[in-house]
Amino acid sequence: MTGTRAALHRPGTVGETVRILAEAGDAELLAGGTDLVPALRAGTRRPRAIVALRRVLELRARGACAQALTIGAGVTYAELADWACAPGLAATARAVGSAQIRNAGTVGGALGSANPRGDLLTFLTAAGTDVLTCSARRGPRTAPLDDFLAGAPGRGRGELVTAIRVPRPRGPQVFLKIGGRQAAYPALVSCALVVDRAGGRVSCAIGGVASTPLRASEAESFAAAEIDWTSPGRDEAAWASVARRFGALVADAARAAPAQLPEGPRDPAAYRWHAAGVLAGRALARCFAGGDQEHGAPAEGGARMPHLRSSGGDQGHGESAEGGARMPHLRSSGGDQGPGESTEGRGR
Amino acid sequence: MTAVGTDTGAGSGGDVPVRRVLDRGSAARDDHADEDTDAGPVVQPYRLHVDGGLRTVAGAWLGDSLLTVLRERLGITSVKDGCEQGRCGSCSVLLDGQLVAACATLAADAADARVTTLAGLPADGLAPAVRAAFLRHGAVQCGFCTPGFVVAVTDLLGRRPQADEDEIREALAGNICRCTGYGRIIAAVRAVQADITSAGAEP
Repeated sequence: MTGTRAALHRPGTVGETVRILAEAGDAELLAGGTDLVPALRAGTRRPRAIVALRRVLELRARGACAQALTIGAGVTYAELADWACAPGLAATARAVGSAQIRNAGTVGGALGSANPRGDLLTFLTAAGTDVLTCSARRGPRTAPLDDFLAGAPGRGRGELVTAIRVPRPRGPQVFLKIGGRQAAYPALVSCALVVDRAGGRVSCAIGGVASTPLRASEAESFAAAEIDWTSPGRDEAAWASVARRFGALVADAARAAPAQLPEGPRDPAAYRWHAAGVLAGRALARCFAGGDQEHGAPAEGGARMPHLRSSGGDQGHGESAEGGARMPHLRSSGGDQGPGESTEGRGR
Repeated sequence: MTAVGTDTGAGSGGDVPVRRVLDRGSAARDDHADEDTDAGPVVQPYRLHVDGGLRTVAGAWLGDSLLTVLRERLGITSVKDGCEQGRCGSCSVLLDGQLVAACATLAADAADARVTTLAGLPADGLAPAVRAAFLRHGAVQCGFCTPGFVVAVTDLLGRRPQADEDEIREALAGNICRCTGYGRIIAAVRAVQADITSAGAEP
């Protein structure tokens, strides 16, 4: 036999994994396989070696402390989707792919693939996430998600994502997405809104516009200034106007973002900017204006045809496919959801 | 650690495995097989636990999906090759009891897991009732998506026998049917649920 040595490695620990990564120059990491295996079939990726992480059980742990949630890289979307500690994250995980994908795809895989349309990355960007990595050369390290994603070209080799750390929810969190089909397709544009009631902050991230999720800082400060943090109740008309302005600022931020994704025939950049604004306005309205809070069960799902809701303002754009993910309960928000509970039931 | 690996067949003539061409996807690939670039290196033989039996897979590519191995090497054709992107659900199987798309699972990495296809669903479980309900309610037209649906529905009803229609639709969102419009499929699932409920109420 001649030719290159090539192998499937199936290590059992993180230490073993990073050692193999250091030795094997050109190895792909395999977690759930939902990105890599179709790419192997299509021939777009041709690794000489694959390091499969299925046996690394220490990557599958998750835990909660007072300040933060730590989620192992091997935790699947399905496992996140029923985690009561993190309702916003759970709702986002529910909106990813299909049951088949959620059972296989992992948090680490989402970071490793760093798909600019990745639903989870949008939420994690808004939530302010740290990425824990490990390599044989540099040992364990922690980096903010932004830095991790920005370093994408140089990262790869030799480094293993071991976990992420997300602050505990301190207010409503909403994830919305828009796309050709809800299930099993990546969103065209996604929006995550994370509210920190204690700190008086609003974080908004948009995915699907630029090569990494973008933050709309001007819109965030506008919202934080408009919100009366001591008594957030307010009439719906006023919220609609704040949400509209918020959406417009987010659309501006999307337009101004560097590294715009290439346009496709069905997603011209102008459409994506507009969609980003619509989703952001809708998300803000949902967080504060009492939108959908009687949706107790998070059973809204990907399968449904999109339907219009009354909370988003300018929905005249035709394709208002709505993300299934919503924060099911505003547990940490103290019940001050303002007037005007929506009359939309989920029995449709 | 286990390393399932070997030298590649590059330049070694007779050692290059011949891949059977059974579907449209492989035809293009096999044109380049002798370059040993497309399909990647070959892994050493490994064994898969499929439907209660132990099957040996020899001469497979490192990058072969579970779908490819099940269909082309083990001849299990109920696992349908639809999109190969994890989007259509026609290759749905259970991997250690979890519903996954076989096309998005690396076969060699499934070596110590239990793979359950349509044929391996327990005969004394829900699968026969699901199959019968699909036929009775006209949930089968061309039939291509049906094995995947039966696996997915059996998985759902095993976990969530009381699922409401929203939950059923969400759970089946990863399975595409181009014929029925889903109405009859949902009706079949509801019928199985009704049978479970009445069977539970009788004794």
